[in-house]
Amino acid sequence: MKKGEPFKVLLLVGTGVSLLALPNFVDNYVIYIGARLFVYILVALGLNLLTGYAGQVSLGHAAFFAIGAYTAAVLAESLHWPFALCVIVAAIFTAIVGYLLGLPCLRLSGLYLAMATLGFTLIVQEMLLQLSMITHGSEGMSVPTASVLGFDFDSDYRKYYLLLGVTVVMLILARNLVRGRTGRALLAIRENERAAEAMGVNLAQYKTIAFAISALYTGLAGALSAFLVGFLDPQEFSFFLSIQFITIIILGGLASLLGSVLGAGFLIILPEFLAGLDVWQALVYGVIMVLTILFMPFGLSGAIRRYAYRWFGIGAEPIIPRRLGH
Amino acid sequence: MIEILASQVVSGLATGCVYALVALGFVLIFKATDVVNFAQGEFVMASGFISYTLLIWYGLPYWLVFLLTILLSGVMGVVLERVVVRPIMSAPIFSIVIATIGASTVMRSAAGIVYGYDVLPLPTLFSKDPIHLGILTFTVMDVGVIGSSIAIMLALYLFFKWTMTGMAMRATAQSQTAAQLMGVSVKQIFSLTWAISAGIGGIAGVLIAPIIYLDPNLGIIGIKAFAGAILGGFGSIPGAIIGGMLLGILENLSGYFFNAGIKQVSTYILLILVLIIRPSGLFGAVTMKKV
Repeated sequence: MKKGEPFKVLLLVGTGVSLLALPNFVDNYVIYIGARLFVYILVALGLNLLTGYAGQVSLGHAAFFAIGAYTAAVLAESLHWPFALCVIVAAIFTAIVGYLLGLPCLRLSGLYLAMATLGFTLIVQEMLLQLSMITHGSEGMSVPTASVLGFDFDSDYRKYYLLLGVTVVMLILARNLVRGRTGRALLAIRENERAAEAMGVNLAQYKTIAFAISALYTGLAGALSAFLVGFLDPQEFSFFLSIQFITIIILGGLASLLGSVLGAGFLIILPEFLAGLDVWQALVYGVIMVLTILFMPFGLSGAIRRYAYRWFGIGAEPIIPRRLGH
Repeated sequence: MIEILASQVVSGLATGCVYALVALGFVLIFKATDVVNFAQGEFVMASGFISYTLLIWYGLPYWLVFLLTILLSGVMGVVLERVVVRPIMSAPIFSIVIATIGASTVMRSAAGIVYGYDVLPLPTLFSKDPIHLGILTFTVMDVGVIGSSIAIMLALYLFFKWTMTGMAMRATAQSQTAAQLMGVSVKQIFSLTWAISAGIGGIAGVLIAPIIYLDPNLGIIGIKAFAGAILGGFGSIPGAIIGGMLLGILENLSGYFFNAGIKQVSTYILLILVLIIRPSGLFGAVTMKKV
């Protein structure tokens, strides 16, 4: 084994066991937060694939999240499809939307891409309100309970384990993707598109696939979130949510699966500690965000990798990603 | 019918001028430092509140409030640059952008704590009385806003073209290294750029607050201005101005033809269409990269 490998394995197993055992020792609210954390980890994985690895800035993920959530909800409520089918179809539909969005975005980069995807988020949010026949518009939409073969996921306890399972599976899939040919192609595209093309990477194909897979993860997260929370409100799926998602992967670390997990954790758990501050909550949150970036410009995972190398000799000095979109 | 359309165009132009000013702030900072300052909208909001405080709480005369607001906005810009941006100038651009977003969150919630989230009215120098000129109907306010905006843009143009400092700023935007070799203090230029951008945001705030009223979420105007700058071609100053004005007019016109919700997103739909045809915006430079 390489140096540090046993340490990593131990850490992974330890985390896994803790996560599995957790719901038995804490109260319902913490379990609910844990479940929400898994949802955000899924989103972060998806967004990181597109923005971190492929270098395509996306402020449109709130829209994908919304599409996944509402598609699943509508299928469940209006057509009474079984839960698992709703979620899978919602995820695939969102992936298709992602692919379609990726097509016009092929020619865009950097700020222009960010703006186009931002526009997409705002348009989708407005569509949620306009198509109130299906989406119930501003009054919101409630989602029936998830159930598989008669087993109802009606408690936070059960939802937690469901989400844990899905997240672990998707995490493993992401890892394989990233370590394989696709991952390398995406990184090549991020670093230098012309050079990647010259090496035989089909830009259009990989970019649109990146959009599609990214949308798949986010749509899946949205669908699951719909069943977790039980209620959908168009106000949530705003530009601010997209910014939150981007913040997660930046704070966690771009092009890093670990970063996706840490970033999501940071964003979800921190507000809970600040909850007692009432009006000061947002202010302190903003200050912490700024301070974190000041001290860890490459995100939490970047800092961990740097110090793991410098203090323990594990791994290597992390590669500094180039400026995106310029 | 044509009268209503015409007046919509004029009032849209007024809002558009404010968008143009804020967009100008974005582009100035971007050209000089490669950073997109997502707190630009919050500069506008903050200046609105500052002028409100000076005018209402301290009862200062309007002209003094105007000057002080611009000054204080400029200071705010420098503070943000020194405290938040400069320490991480060498970090990936994304991190710097997130830092400005964090700063905008801090500013927004600070405003909410001090002033609450209710909408506050800001009295204005320009009355809202209508004027009739042939087929056009518009208000004194519209004229005031458009006039002030154009005056500011003209002043900036002259500043950049004819003064040494303006030339130094242009030089820094073109090439920091070359500017430094010519004796320009790049650090001072950075601070000055942020001060001017924030000051422009301040003027925009004073102009727009009486129209759309003050509340801590006013910063959302930054997104519209950003869209305007992209429409015109980010990195191009005339592009930012034209893009902002165009956005204002189109927004108003679509508000006339469609319902309020569609009005909000019509501009973004248009933007995406423009970007598909011209990926760098209307007047943006098509950059060729050597591999």
